[in-house]
Amino acid sequence: MAAIKHHKQLPELGAALLSAAMALPCVMGVAHAESAPEKGTLSFKYLDYKERQQIADGASAGYGLSDSKSGASAFDDRIRVKATASKLVLPINSEWSMSGTLITDSISGASPAYHTEALTGMKDFRRAVDTSLTHYSPDGTFTLGVNHSGERDYVSRGVSLLATRATENKNTTWTAGIGVNRDQINPSNRIVFNETKNGTDLLLGVTQVMSMNDIVQFNLGYYKGHGYYSDPYKIYDERPRNRNHETLQTRWNHHFSELNATTRLAYRFYTDNWGIRSHTFDAEWVQNVGWGWSAAPAIRYYTQTAAKFYVEADPSLSPFPPNPPMGAQYFSEDQRMSAFGGLAFGMKLVKQINLDTKVDFKFEQYGQKGSWILSGKGSQGLAPFYARSIQVGLTHAF
Amino acid sequence: MHNRTFGILAFVLVTWVMQGCSMIQSVEPWQKGNLAKPEMTFDNDPLETGYKEHIYSSKEASSGGSGVGGGGCGCN
Repeated sequence: MAAIKHHKQLPELGAALLSAAMALPCVMGVAHAESAPEKGTLSFKYLDYKERQQIADGASAGYGLSDSKSGASAFDDRIRVKATASKLVLPINSEWSMSGTLITDSISGASPAYHTEALTGMKDFRRAVDTSLTHYSPDGTFTLGVNHSGERDYVSRGVSLLATRATENKNTTWTAGIGVNRDQINPSNRIVFNETKNGTDLLLGVTQVMSMNDIVQFNLGYYKGHGYYSDPYKIYDERPRNRNHETLQTRWNHHFSELNATTRLAYRFYTDNWGIRSHTFDAEWVQNVGWGWSAAPAIRYYTQTAAKFYVEADPSLSPFPPNPPMGAQYFSEDQRMSAFGGLAFGMKLVKQINLDTKVDFKFEQYGQKGSWILSGKGSQGLAPFYARSIQVGLTHAF
Repeated sequence: MHNRTFGILAFVLVTWVMQGCSMIQSVEPWQKGNLAKPEMTFDNDPLETGYKEHIYSSKEASSGGSGVGGGGCGCN
């Protein structure tokens, strides 16, 4: 069944890519030299991320199972992540540069075993390393990337290739990329052992300078993966072993000279073989305010349909999870597989200290609710979910 | 079903891009002062992008869009 579906969608993607390629002649020119950055860059960013979930109305039994400390609060704390990310970009000569990123995540807290109930405590530490080597040639760039991410129960290894090709006037840049990931899963509850998840990512994009103040980008993405996609820590979670998704992304940056401000707009359409379709809208206003300061308020709206195997919540059964439909091959009671909308507001401040050094600070608040879905009815019986994040960063060129 | 939606969207997008060809102004290198500003580039803060993608792909069902590679995670 999945195989048939897959064959059906490949020609369509092929047609889309072909049409994109046909648009090439009107913007194609003769390639011109690109070269490695003249300076190296060292960046560091700290993240403090904290979730909380409103206690669902009528979910008193679920509340009894939770780790909540007092009845006075209408919220339960969920996952908290404290992360650091350090990145070094180093030019080797005019033709080559290399980069390395190290990320550490300390994860602790609790997550629901089904829907938004039956909290289970967890603690983990993740370390991820991304390295890449870029070659700059008269035609464009070529980047080879290698990445590794390790947690106690999850190890991911990947290789990627990304090629760009720019026209002589550098007003058009084509991008093509491929990434391959091999993941190994060993959950601490030993529900499965040495499970794997293997996936391939494809990307085709074009970036076009439209005017002195406008630049747009289109990206088509395709992912095909096979393996263990279920969540081993959830009750009644059996997902298909195949996952394919397609994405279409558009971005547009516009600069207002008279205001010394920039709007950054983005839209992404996502669709997959699990029946999930989503739309993501991003808008950011970057206002330069002088003395090296800029302030950027941002808004993000996200909406998704439910996976076709999502089992709706039934608070009347609490504290027991609803049974999957009789004879169902796949089922999940994970909130992330439900139908919902998500809304985020952020504010980022950047201070350029001198020519080579800048610091930044960002605060973001995120909420997720069934009723915030764009069209149709969102999933019922789930507690709204909230998260806030704080980022502090430093970038230095040398 | 989702394949058809994607096909239609891709077609509309490509048609729009081709229409857009006529709107493209030729911008000379000395006219690119504003385009060179960090906020006018698409990936001006890769560490922030990394955090953002990581957070949202672990709390929502969607992922991907603008890049390839990068480590997977358990993220439950």
